Amino acid sequence: MKSSAPAPIRQRWTVSDIVVASTLAVASGVIFWGWNLSYHAVSTLFIAYPPAASLVAGMWLFPAVLGALIIRKPGAAIYCEMVAAAVSALLGSQWGLGVLLSGFVQGVGAELILLVFLYRRFTVDVAVLAGAAAGLAGGINENWIASYYQYDAIGTLTHIAGFAISGAVIAGFIPWLATRGLAATGALAPLRSRKAHRESAFGTGSREAPAAPSS
Amino acid sequence: MGTTTPGQPSTTTSTAYVGVHVTASGFTYHHADRERPAFAGIDLDIAAGEKVLLAGASGAGKSTLLHSIAGVLQNDDASSTGDLLLNGLPPEHARGRAGLMQQDPESQVVLSRIGDDVAFACENLAVPPAEIPGRCQQALQAVGLDYLPLEHPTAALSGGQKQRLALAGILAMQPGLLLLDEPTANLDPDGAEQVRNSVITAAQSTGATLIVVEHHLGRWLDQVDTLIVLEPGGGVRHRVSASTLHHDKALRAELIAAGLWVPGHDVLETLPMWFSREREPGAPADHTLLTGTGLAVSRESPHRSWRKTPPSQPVLSGVDITLHSGVATGITGRNGAGKSTLLLTLGGLLEPHDGVITASSVLKGKHGAQLHESPHQWRSADLTSRIGTVFQEPEHQFVRHTVNSELRLSAEQAKVPGTKESLFTEQEVATRVASLLDRLRLTHLADANPFTLSGGEKRRLSVGTALAAGPEVLMLDEPTFGQDAHTFAELIGLLREHVDAGGTVVAVTHDQDFLRGLNVDLFALSSPEVRQTPGDDPAPPGSRSTPLLSAVRDASWLGQRGPLAKLIALSFITLALISTIDPVSAAVVAAASFALLPVANIRLGTFLKRIWIFAAAAVMAVWGAAVAAEESGRVLLDLGLTTVSTGSLEMGLSLGARAFAIVLPSVLIFSTTDPTDLADALAQQLKLPARFVLGALAAMRLLGLMAAHWTTLGHARRARGLGTRFFSQAFGLLVQAIRIATRLAVTMESRGFGAGQRTWSRSADFTRADGVVVLGGLVIAVSATALAIWAGTWNLVWM
Repeated sequence: MKSSAPAPIRQRWTVSDIVVASTLAVASGVIFWGWNLSYHAVSTLFIAYPPAASLVAGMWLFPAVLGALIIRKPGAAIYCEMVAAAVSALLGSQWGLGVLLSGFVQGVGAELILLVFLYRRFTVDVAVLAGAAAGLAGGINENWIASYYQYDAIGTLTHIAGFAISGAVIAGFIPWLATRGLAATGALAPLRSRKAHRESAFGTGSREAPAAPSS
Repeated sequence: MGTTTPGQPSTTTSTAYVGVHVTASGFTYHHADRERPAFAGIDLDIAAGEKVLLAGASGAGKSTLLHSIAGVLQNDDASSTGDLLLNGLPPEHARGRAGLMQQDPESQVVLSRIGDDVAFACENLAVPPAEIPGRCQQALQAVGLDYLPLEHPTAALSGGQKQRLALAGILAMQPGLLLLDEPTANLDPDGAEQVRNSVITAAQSTGATLIVVEHHLGRWLDQVDTLIVLEPGGGVRHRVSASTLHHDKALRAELIAAGLWVPGHDVLETLPMWFSREREPGAPADHTLLTGTGLAVSRESPHRSWRKTPPSQPVLSGVDITLHSGVATGITGRNGAGKSTLLLTLGGLLEPHDGVITASSVLKGKHGAQLHESPHQWRSADLTSRIGTVFQEPEHQFVRHTVNSELRLSAEQAKVPGTKESLFTEQEVATRVASLLDRLRLTHLADANPFTLSGGEKRRLSVGTALAAGPEVLMLDEPTFGQDAHTFAELIGLLREHVDAGGTVVAVTHDQDFLRGLNVDLFALSSPEVRQTPGDDPAPPGSRSTPLLSAVRDASWLGQRGPLAKLIALSFITLALISTIDPVSAAVVAAASFALLPVANIRLGTFLKRIWIFAAAAVMAVWGAAVAAEESGRVLLDLGLTTVSTGSLEMGLSLGARAFAIVLPSVLIFSTTDPTDLADALAQQLKLPARFVLGALAAMRLLGLMAAHWTTLGHARRARGLGTRFFSQAFGLLVQAIRIATRLAVTMESRGFGAGQRTWSRSADFTRADGVVVLGGLVIAVSATALAIWAGTWNLVWM
């Protein structure tokens, strides 16, 4: 905080970073599974207009931003989203191997936003942007790359917009809240995000975090 | 693959088995963001081959010291001063010389098969592959697990066996120093004794130095040479010969005051004399609270689930049990006998498979006349004020940000049956919370986050959250695991008060002191099943209703092929399907998948059961496009805002067929591919970074454990009167995931993970049969595309 020049950041992942990110992704797989069991009825709500079902699709994106906010190192969003996708694939995903492609594209969406901020800002606005970007990327993938849907113009627009909004809330704002909650439990002690609960929502508090001694 | 040069000389030289000489001078460690150092100014000199019991009050920095010696404390912002040396080297440079075992058995296992798990450390230390099998065999023999096949799934081991496996993994490194951090705290007495004996034998036969941290001093005292006592926040307070503790009165008194279990000292004798009311002469006739008749219990729901085969066999059946007010009951029995399952069933959290549970009118209380007989049918708000459950892991019960609001929530959740009206007035809630904070001695921590409390404080709060709703019956699962003598005594005090007030306590426990302290009626479960192996506890049966990756390799033709080849073949097929939206290519892939069932040795019926849910999803895809795709052709159905036309329906059918076809080959491939083999292939053949691949693989093993946590978190929310709370449950799971991951990372790092070049005991090679698999995938992909082009339905979606 005192020095104006940004301190060099050690970006190499520690063993803790790797194992925590991986386990978060696996736990996300279990949460997906719990979501499926508890909220099987949710998708039927959208029978009247299926493109709007993307409004709950942010649920599949949360590992990307959660991983990025907790690990705070390059690649965390892509890695967490892809491992979570791999777990889905192994347990049997509706999209087969295609789920890996989705995981990658969505992870890239979130990752780009964190890159724009040089992995130095993990505030609520960045989290929401990253979640929206993951949703946007997911929408682009599902409509134009993997093309699981072929809606008319309004349907496609609705689907992608819903995906981005859902991503911003469920995969952006909520992971930001969760990260603060996790930091307050002390569970993040070995990680760069351990003080997340004491950072201000929009402030520059995160700048002090990476002031690591070089070793 | 396996051709790396032998790694760091220190790990593979023939002198590896000489004990390590540990020295420290003025060694201080300060965690980031803490007011006080974990310890300060530690001076130590532990001779090679010396056996040390390291003791101190809770929070005296014992674990931190052990982690420092193991060289696994690498926090960015923590600071340490002074010297700590292993044979003159700093711990980070003595990798492989020190092996660390922690308390929680689940995080001491890294991989899903015992052979792989033991080999893990050797590979990390770049031991030549030819040498690894011999080392593993020797290590497994040393801990008495060599009777199990190397392919044996680690998930099927009991807690004690897991700890012995961890010891084998450490011994295979041929370390000169064994560091044990409360290795038996989570084990039942039999398991604990086996672990202790294995450790002592290993230390003696290898000459390794041994440092063990333990609250139950008696378990190790007579097996070690030296007792070292740490001063909280300070240095070494005592360093004496172990036998001193038997006669040095001042030392004994000091350690008793620090909350340690000192041999020959009965903690219960320090508590006031107590008789449960029932035992007193002329006691009033007891009230029956809860009766179970002919109970059969299982973790699985007795109902046929919508996606499952018939429900599993109950773990326990024919149980008759009655709970009276003013009496404590202790449920005892072997591991895997179904004790916890019975407890959860009695607690109204699981539905009995057979038999009836009847709540008496006393338990139902003055508002409860219309309540159902069986607690399982009650609303969670009615359950919580009648039957409270305290879980083995206190954190499972925590849902709020402060201790105070945790207790307040419990009191507020209690409702008058059939209404949303609170059972307690606002005034009563405040009184209950204040009095409980006082009884639990947590008043000074009222605003602290429950997750940041010490182990003993968490245990007290977990009991408090159950008591705050005012239940008559209190269920507890292993409440004294890992607790020091202070917490034990406080817990006994709290529970005695509860029994005196006419309540009842039901506890599943192996703790004889606990049973004695509450003067329990014993309810001993005998498990009729044949034990798997002599001298070992059977592992708790895994729950089948939870996602689980099998550790058993598939024996089919496809199952024996290399994962990389299968992945490439699957990629070809998936690409062929994704590139076009047409029913012909989808039909070709679907037909090929069914035709290939025999190579995967999957029966048609099994396959259909696995895929029908995807067929349902495909129907949704048909509907989605039919309603919302571009209108073209004839309008079939006018829904006002939108229409179903022949064109949109056709598009829907194509999309549905494609979605269904995409999933079929991947079910074939993934159900015949072992995650460990896949990881081997990704790291060795595709050259993906080994640290990430193995990290992901180690996490995959936790899938079943995470699912079990998920279920328990759900039970805990119901027990607290909260019903179903998806986000709270998800948050609870994330906390547990990170806690387990942090411990697992320490385990992996202490076994040399992430240090540098590693070897692979099994090399992943590309065989001729693998070539056939790739070719097969290519043929299916090409013929699907060719037939679609020939039929004129092929259309590249990216155009």
